[in-house]
Amino acid sequence: MGMDRREFIKSCSLVAVMGLLFGCRKIPLEELAGDLPSLKRFEDEVKLALSQAKKTLDLVKVPTPGALKIPGASALNRFGMAIDLDACDGCGKCILACNLENNVPLVPDEDAARGRFMHWVDMRGSAPFMCVHCGNAPCERVCPTGAANHTPDGLSAMMYKRCTGSRFCGANCPVQARKFNFNDAQKLGLARQFNREVPLRDKGVMEKCSLCLHRLQNDRLKFKTSLTVDASAEEWRGRGVKTACAEACPKNAIIFGNWLDEKSPLVKLTKNRELYAPRELADLDPSVVFMRGRR
Amino acid sequence: MGEPRVPERAVGSIPFDHALHGDSIGLDCAACHTGSRASANAFMPSKADCMDCHRLPLTENPGIETLDSMLAKADDRPWSHKRHLPDHVVFHHGVHAAAGVACADCHGRGYMQNRYGAELFNMQSCLKCHRGETFKEKGFKPAATYCAACHR
Repeated sequence: MGMDRREFIKSCSLVAVMGLLFGCRKIPLEELAGDLPSLKRFEDEVKLALSQAKKTLDLVKVPTPGALKIPGASALNRFGMAIDLDACDGCGKCILACNLENNVPLVPDEDAARGRFMHWVDMRGSAPFMCVHCGNAPCERVCPTGAANHTPDGLSAMMYKRCTGSRFCGANCPVQARKFNFNDAQKLGLARQFNREVPLRDKGVMEKCSLCLHRLQNDRLKFKTSLTVDASAEEWRGRGVKTACAEACPKNAIIFGNWLDEKSPLVKLTKNRELYAPRELADLDPSVVFMRGRR
Repeated sequence: MGEPRVPERAVGSIPFDHALHGDSIGLDCAACHTGSRASANAFMPSKADCMDCHRLPLTENPGIETLDSMLAKADDRPWSHKRHLPDHVVFHHGVHAAAGVACADCHGRGYMQNRYGAELFNMQSCLKCHRGETFKEKGFKPAATYCAACHR
């Protein structure tokens, strides 16, 4: 055997050309950053979660949510959502939108295989299902540090830096709406900050749907700073704010709004509809409900 | 002894004096620190902002020639300011200004008497004022003290 000079030079130049082609390949900045997971992994995880979704959801009728019955509650605002079961087709776009908005981390493969996702929005009975922000929240009652607490405008908020990871709240939530960071997602390269507005969570911290708290905060601050221009403006009612899932829904099946504001799309669109909540939550004054029936 | 003290401003940067601008000619803070009245952050001026006025010979002061040559040499952004707050804390500068808190209440007169700057600032100072314990004489409205008002 042997390689003549002509063939040797040929193979050399081929290697050189290949090298050049690879060298010139445009690498997107995000991949250069090293550990950051690609967007596709987040999309794939949502698909996997959809394929494992629970098929049933036991619903009972509930009245329209009214003003909160907690001390210091606002008489003007109580934010919530209504999910239109007649419009929703269970596509799961809300889950991905939520994950990207709130920097929800991926989970390692073995957790994913067992259906243990960090997703704030689950699919149950082919409809999105998230923390319903109970007016009488069982999770907040058992929090030893006060990390889980209620805002005057009806959000069951979660202060990550206060959370010591006792997981009492998760144990006391009848519908497992809370997700615990068993893994250090940042260290494992499973977390990515798509949205600078929302901080990444550390290992050992409970998290859940925040009703896009940061959007409400930003809108309130914007309202307050424009007050100096228009002193006659009324109180802040959170008009115009939408959660990421509501924004992403192609069927408009998720309606975000203020239960106490007559002008809110939530109040307008839930009129003449039957409201439902999961059986376990019906007595806990949920802010997020399902709706069905006449339109 | 030991290493020389690190100068507070880089050598060759513009020797800016707050007293010459705000106090003596009545310039509003927001004229240079744009965004301080209405947006989340108060910004530092760029060189273009300085030049808006300094393109004209403004005073008879002999120092003005040194200043002009310094301005000509300076970067486009001679000053920068880094926020010390972590990203789970919301601090909206404009909301405080809109609520009637004057610049000097927190920042003092001039740049060196920064009352609530950097290491002097913590959550207790936020809460004290939000509960109405500091600035009693000013009669500010008590502000929100629930966690999610400022944390996310």
